[in-house]
Amino acid sequence: MKMTDRVLKLREQSLKAIETISAERALLVTEFYASDEARGLSAPVTRAKAFYHILKNKSICINEGELIVGERGPAPKATPTCPEISLHSSEDLEILEKRDKVFFKSTAEVKRVYSEKIIPFWKGKSNRERIMESMTPEWIDAYQAGIFTEFQEQRAPGHTVLGYKMFHTGFLELKEEIRDALGRLDYLSDPDAYQKSEELKAMTIACDAIIMFAERHAEALEVMASSTSESERRKELTEMAAICRRVPAHAPETFHEMLQHYWFIHIGVITELNPWDSFNPGRLDQHVYPLYKKGIDDGSLTSETVFELLGCFWVKFNNHPSTPKVGVTAQESNTYTDFCLINLGGVRPDGSDAVNDMTYILLDVIKEMRILQPSSMVQISKKNPDRFIYKALDIIRTGFGQPSCFNTDAIIQELLRQGKSIEDARNGGCSGCVETGAFGTESYWLTGYFNLVKILEITLYNGIDPRSGKQIGLKTGLVVDFNTFDDLMIAFSRQVNHFADIKIRGNNVIGKTFAAFLPVPFLSLLLEDCIANGKDYNDGGARYNTTYIQGVGLGSITDMLTSIRYNIYDKKKVTWEEMLSAMENNFQGSEHLQYELIYKTPKYGNDDDYADEQAVHVFDIFYDAVNGKPASRGGVHRINMLPTTCHVYFGSVTGATPDGRIAWSPLSEGISPFQGVDHNGPTAVIKSASKLDHLRTGGTLLNQKFSPQFFDDEDSYLKLTALIRSYFSLDGHHIQFNVVNADTLREAQKHPELHRDLIVRVAGYSDYFNDLGEDLQNEIIRRTEHNDF
Amino acid sequence: MKGLLFNIKRYAIHDGPGIRVTFFLKGCPLDCWWCHNPEGISPAPVETERIDRIGDREFHSREWVGKEYSPEELLAIAEKERVFMDQSGGGVTFSGGEPTLQYDFLLETLKLMKNAGISTAVDTSGLVSGRRIMDIAEYTDIFLYDIKLFDTDLHKKFTGADNSLILDNLDNLLQNGESVIIRVPVIPGVNDTINYIEDLRSFIEKRKKYRILQIDLLPYHKTGSSKYRHFGFLDRMDGVEQTPVAFMDQFRELLSTTGIRVKTGG
Repeated sequence: MKMTDRVLKLREQSLKAIETISAERALLVTEFYASDEARGLSAPVTRAKAFYHILKNKSICINEGELIVGERGPAPKATPTCPEISLHSSEDLEILEKRDKVFFKSTAEVKRVYSEKIIPFWKGKSNRERIMESMTPEWIDAYQAGIFTEFQEQRAPGHTVLGYKMFHTGFLELKEEIRDALGRLDYLSDPDAYQKSEELKAMTIACDAIIMFAERHAEALEVMASSTSESERRKELTEMAAICRRVPAHAPETFHEMLQHYWFIHIGVITELNPWDSFNPGRLDQHVYPLYKKGIDDGSLTSETVFELLGCFWVKFNNHPSTPKVGVTAQESNTYTDFCLINLGGVRPDGSDAVNDMTYILLDVIKEMRILQPSSMVQISKKNPDRFIYKALDIIRTGFGQPSCFNTDAIIQELLRQGKSIEDARNGGCSGCVETGAFGTESYWLTGYFNLVKILEITLYNGIDPRSGKQIGLKTGLVVDFNTFDDLMIAFSRQVNHFADIKIRGNNVIGKTFAAFLPVPFLSLLLEDCIANGKDYNDGGARYNTTYIQGVGLGSITDMLTSIRYNIYDKKKVTWEEMLSAMENNFQGSEHLQYELIYKTPKYGNDDDYADEQAVHVFDIFYDAVNGKPASRGGVHRINMLPTTCHVYFGSVTGATPDGRIAWSPLSEGISPFQGVDHNGPTAVIKSASKLDHLRTGGTLLNQKFSPQFFDDEDSYLKLTALIRSYFSLDGHHIQFNVVNADTLREAQKHPELHRDLIVRVAGYSDYFNDLGEDLQNEIIRRTEHNDF
Repeated sequence: MKGLLFNIKRYAIHDGPGIRVTFFLKGCPLDCWWCHNPEGISPAPVETERIDRIGDREFHSREWVGKEYSPEELLAIAEKERVFMDQSGGGVTFSGGEPTLQYDFLLETLKLMKNAGISTAVDTSGLVSGRRIMDIAEYTDIFLYDIKLFDTDLHKKFTGADNSLILDNLDNLLQNGESVIIRVPVIPGVNDTINYIEDLRSFIEKRKKYRILQIDLLPYHKTGSSKYRHFGFLDRMDGVEQTPVAFMDQFRELLSTTGIRVKTGG
């Protein structure tokens, strides 16, 4: 089916809209915090009233022709800021405006408001500053060295996905639930009863806020309806107004209502704070199917209307770029994508095949819309039909990078291992890049990337960071004194534990700052058991709580360790002194050694146990250092293996390495092999990657670049399907195909103006090629092409 | 027992059904002008120069084309791909060179694979004794069988060998109930004529009652020419461009009238 003119127009508007900073939210939140009303309130009530104040006073934006309404800012891509989380300085606004890629423009008025009102009020009071002041010198050293990043430094915790319940529940009903919970509070024997009552009171205010916000839209729509001369549009506007009067106060009863219901929730979440990965409708085909079916069966819906509504819904996501960053991150942040990942397929709560008509319709929508946001993925279970995979391949082959392929059966086992019930596990999926979660019931936070490669570098220098000369790690001994390879692995393991402990201590402080100062009563309404527990999402109110640290550079570190084992210990081709001196000189003058390290040394990604053993060993060390350690809101820390674009940053702080990689260049991404070293084809990569125990993670990312020829005919679909199913039968978590031709990419570098539509898979998400930094562009070009197979 | 191989390819998706491992056995009795694996023709290892690059810098090294493997080693390599074979209905393919030239090794390895439950294919020119090909057939699930030319003189000119044994062997295999995929390299100036297509069509038409699973049309590509330069072989195809797509389409359409599935590119 083709998109209607209305949708094409909205899509075009969205693509053309310029990303700007809107100071509206910052002003409103400042106004509220400065007012008398904000004094003497508990933290949750303060936040709920601030939320109410924003939604009461923010401008209402209704774009011409749209059928789903609600914008976070005053216009598409006008992006609000959260000074209570991280405060943009005037320089930050300049950097954001001037950088070539992923810019945000600010008007003179925005800059004035910032320097006169926002900055003076929030200076020293943002949570980012609170976090940085609370961190230990060890944490600061490691952070500055690039050992790890901190997710909550500029954004609120998130990665959470809406579950079944909230697609079928109105906020008036939630108010009933809150009333019941308040009634059940036991002030006699529960010492936390008062805090719970404050949290529940805040949740009530948040319910009122979102209902009021929808009504403001209804009023605006009614005014527009009465002033339009066009009868068709008047009818639409009247109907939309009626919908906004019903949802989200009441549970949606039609397909259109359900989309609008979700969208108000989405806007609520991304307005309350700036949580990671925006927000996510999750298993959309499952949620909307019953109302779709009802509408089609009773004749109130046609396939055309369904398709058009979904097109309008899609555009709304694209209107909302990711949070503008501050400081160094503002310079390096590489994407507008806000990682909303729509899940299709998988299994039903009873374990049966969940693919339905809506799954195929949504795949068509993805294909026709072809826009950056929302991102999409297919959950593939052994129970799903091949036809489902074929339909996904039809889109993947167009080189647009969506959808990525996930293993439902692995996701369920990961969740079960973490203690979820079987139904909650089957209702789960992945959000962000590849992060596993129980949708609607779990608060799962990512806390930062963890630079395994840098830690090995520091191990090689007895705990000193060679870049700064500073002792930041343990003194685990000089490598020249290590008689065996095992001695090195023991030292490395001690350093990993040392830095993991620093990170976890930091996490446990940072998590508490959010519980204490920045509760999220609105988001808490959406996650099951927060109301029943009378506890905030940021304070362990959800049924399940998991805290992740994401390992980066597995392919690189495997090749580094393999090179050391092979060239220094087993084959004795070089001494430690020669290796270290070559690395310090970035292989200048040791070109032949570099060649040996690159071309004559076993590498991860070729199904060679000699190399892959190190991958498994590093994985186990990292797992043991993190998994099971307590986290701030209950639950424990766990690992996943994904880089987003952080492997570029982590590479930029890491000197030359024993695998022949030159200083400051990118590391490997996810669990993929280092760029270009896999020369045995995709099956060998899959075999290497599946030697890791994916089920003990909360997600891994494997990127495979294919040239379009791999999708030529029915036979190639069959073989790619078999390839995916093979990886998944080995418990692989995720695989994505980057289908693109290197010449096209090089051409796009020369003539970006002619390739504005070019979308590539970066690492767990897609982005416009033109919006990527040059180093990332080059890397994507370099990634092994398999077109000679 | 050892065999001499010049390449092993995993994720081979054009050498028979499913995802396969293709073993390239060294040595070939033919000398086809368009051969895209000229390094596989000689039955002995060939020493050659290898050039690797880091940026603009070149690194030269010597390397042998041709390495010895035991049947057990090949089985171990195939086992690594077991999951892909199982999921895709794939297996192993013995190609070359001409794999039947290393008859004892091939037979031994085929037995080993079959015994391990791995599906086998043999990609052959058919230039092998009638007794041997029937022995091989006992452990082979599918033959990929080349038909290059019908004209004996032209066949001799372009491949260096007579084609009567080749065609006899094919008929014996078919009559014995073997499954065969016919492979036809379509070479400009050699067999890219309507006459040849017509001959091929009627040849296949007469054998439709047998198990001809598919016809693969393989267009000529210049991929071999850099190899010729690299190994210092004389490239008799110098100046020949790749087979035009339009001709391949026409060829495919004509052959499709046999009712047998025709694929371009295998």
